[in-house]
Amino acid sequence: MENTELHTINKDESVISITGLYKSFDDVQVLDGIDFTLLKGENFAILGKSGSGKSVLIKIIVGLLKPDKGEVIVLGQQVDKLNRKELDALRIRVGFSFQSSALYDSMNVYQNLAFPLTMNYRDLSKKEVGNAVEEVLESVGLKEKLYQMPSDLSGGQRKRVGIARMLILKPEIMLFDEPTAGLDPITSNEIIELINEVKKQNNASSLIITHDLTCAKNTGDRIAMLFEGKFLKAGTFKDVFAMDNEHIKGFYNYNFIQ
Amino acid sequence: MNESANRHAVVVGLFVTLGLIFLLGGILLVGNLHNTFKSKIKVVTIFEDIGGLQKGNNIWFSGVKIGTVSDLHFYGKSQVEVSMNIVTKAQQFIHKDAKVKTSTDGFLGNKILIIYGGTSESQEVEDGDTLEVAKTTSTDDMMATLQESNKNLLAITGDIKIISKKLATGEGTIGKLLNDNSVYTNINAATASLQSASVKAQQLISSLSGFSSGLNKKGTLANELVTDTAVFKSLKASVMQLQHIADTASAFIANLKQAESNPDTPIGVMLHDKEAGASFKVTLKNLESSSEKLNEDLKAAQSSFLLKGYFKKNAKAGTGDSVK
Amino acid sequence: MDNSNNKKLLFSKGIDNAFISVSKAFRFTALFFKEAFKRPFHLREIFNQCFEIGIKALPLITLTGFVVGMVFTKQSRPSLEEFGATSWLPSLMGIAIVRALGALVTALICAGKVGSGIGAELGSMNVTEQIDAMEVSAINPFKYLVVTRVTATTITIPVLALYCSFLGLLGAYVNVHSVEAISIVTFCQNAFSSIRFLDIFSSLFKSIVYGFTIGIVGCYMGYNATQGTRGVGKAANRAVVLSIFLIFIEEIVIVQVTNWIRYF
Repeated sequence: MENTELHTINKDESVISITGLYKSFDDVQVLDGIDFTLLKGENFAILGKSGSGKSVLIKIIVGLLKPDKGEVIVLGQQVDKLNRKELDALRIRVGFSFQSSALYDSMNVYQNLAFPLTMNYRDLSKKEVGNAVEEVLESVGLKEKLYQMPSDLSGGQRKRVGIARMLILKPEIMLFDEPTAGLDPITSNEIIELINEVKKQNNASSLIITHDLTCAKNTGDRIAMLFEGKFLKAGTFKDVFAMDNEHIKGFYNYNFIQ
Repeated sequence: MNESANRHAVVVGLFVTLGLIFLLGGILLVGNLHNTFKSKIKVVTIFEDIGGLQKGNNIWFSGVKIGTVSDLHFYGKSQVEVSMNIVTKAQQFIHKDAKVKTSTDGFLGNKILIIYGGTSESQEVEDGDTLEVAKTTSTDDMMATLQESNKNLLAITGDIKIISKKLATGEGTIGKLLNDNSVYTNINAATASLQSASVKAQQLISSLSGFSSGLNKKGTLANELVTDTAVFKSLKASVMQLQHIADTASAFIANLKQAESNPDTPIGVMLHDKEAGASFKVTLKNLESSSEKLNEDLKAAQSSFLLKGYFKKNAKAGTGDSVK
Repeated sequence: MDNSNNKKLLFSKGIDNAFISVSKAFRFTALFFKEAFKRPFHLREIFNQCFEIGIKALPLITLTGFVVGMVFTKQSRPSLEEFGATSWLPSLMGIAIVRALGALVTALICAGKVGSGIGAELGSMNVTEQIDAMEVSAINPFKYLVVTRVTATTITIPVLALYCSFLGLLGAYVNVHSVEAISIVTFCQNAFSSIRFLDIFSSLFKSIVYGFTIGIVGCYMGYNATQGTRGVGKAANRAVVLSIFLIFIEEIVIVQVTNWIRYF
């Protein structure tokens, strides 16, 4: 495993630190010994084919899945050891953007955004909630869609609303699961720009899970290549793709031929 | 970790499933368990016809359910052996000479077996005993009896119909009597004369009582006469007799009237009977003649020296409304 | 971890899985009781769900209740006529509807209409990661989705059962009136004369249990839906089948217990 440089980084600056992480489903070993650290204020992109366990990794980070083995420390707390209350407190500080956006389809855009806010801060006035919703919606450029239902939005718009819903709790860490999946290249680029922009605005760290090289290249300060449950290489985009590894080459070629 | 968690889940699932099965089974069975746990004896009886009795039907003793029919099977040529489970609590009340019959719970209810009778001279029943079967009065039998009674009733009403028809058309003695007006007229006349006789008797009696009060006045001739006690006593007796006759006569008239108006009573029938009518006519004639005689007697009394003065006085006071 | 580890099974894979799902269902139910009495209560959401369930099932229950009452009366008439006992019809219908039909018919309709709705709704929320989305927004989805829905069905279905009984009796009255022309007052006097407090209580208790069953089964199936859109359909279908099955088992048990009490 060529991730020695990650371990040289001062642990105090890390917001997520994972060591020796294993996870299997039935007979399939999905994560097979993962070590990595996300630094404060850093964009980290994890590249990998679908089914390579990327989504499992970030679901473990937010405690949606439990690891079989290994230590997952997020903002100084070991995630799988927290009780419900502590986990909820941590989750407010960690934003999660789903691949499918996961908007509540029984609620309109406004309600979708207001929901996490009103549920977590019960003493907020209606006006305060309204202002916060408008603010985040403006930051993703969808102010006019306030009262539309999710089913009336396009894929890109939904992605933006999903990101806005993540932003409304002002997270310190943002996790993006396939932010550009299923989008056309132009919309993909808009989303990539948005990711970079909100990162700057919020001064947060981001972990971007993607199979899209363009996305990884344009968002990640560092990237890592996940293959069969292990990191093949972590480093800058140039470092990773300078490596002479058939899987990395294959992945690179596949992406750019497409 | 994954494996042990799975094992744990399986064990929990197993226990939950078993728990639920026991709970369910328990609830469904316990209803019958208190029967299952009751100790019972088995008694047998042999029927010619069980009339649709089934396994599980109730057995009653003195109107109390004491067991169920546990088994039925053919026995001998065409008889049916019925096994009964009877709770031991009831054992001491059932004697070996008790009898068994089939019946129904209510009029339309389930078939039941009834154990009844038995004398305390006989021993208590024991497990495996055979009880005797009594002649049943099943609903069917009752229906048959009812049917028979119905037929009889029908016959009776038919006869009554014929009789009443004949009566109406004046056939037969009673019919003729019923339809003969002359008897009625005769009776009417007789009663009328009886009535007038009794009215006269009444008047006589009131005159007599007036006279007798006059007798009590001292100094009058009559008083003096009457102070002779022997004459007075016989006079009093005859007056009382007269009163009695008059009473009887009026009661008789009332009875007669009633009887006549109700021809269904024996008296009515008698009245309307030809022979009885004839003899009655005679009686009436006698009555008439006796009342005439009474009249004559009264006239004689008027002309009697003793009462002459009184009657004259009375005739003066009244406006000629006196006894002729 | 070795893959062979997972092969260490207590029985066979199928049986083990069956027991695992029983234990999952058991934990799910236990979790409901644990969460139901903890703050926050999401009263507004409970109210919304009650309203939605009521609106969803009302037309169907109105129709079914009325028709069942009427048809049942129609069908019972010949048997009673045989004994010249049609004057017992209101009484018979009162017992049949209040003791059994009202709660059962409502439960079966709601299992089909409401249970499948909950199963499909939570199922689709599950496969489109909406439940996960709540989870990561620090909202307890079990509390917000499951507890509110189960509470709502537990409250609403007894009310619907009462309404169904009322309409059933109305249907019975319409039929009785069309033949015997008795007044509604006489009908009610007859119908209620043979109903005891125990009947009403056991009916109410039954429909509370049915309501809970429909809610919890629908939620469980939806909450554990997998395999994308196909899973949603499956969840809805299983919710109906399992809750109807459980309703019948509960009916047997409750009737048995009620009869103990009745003849105690």
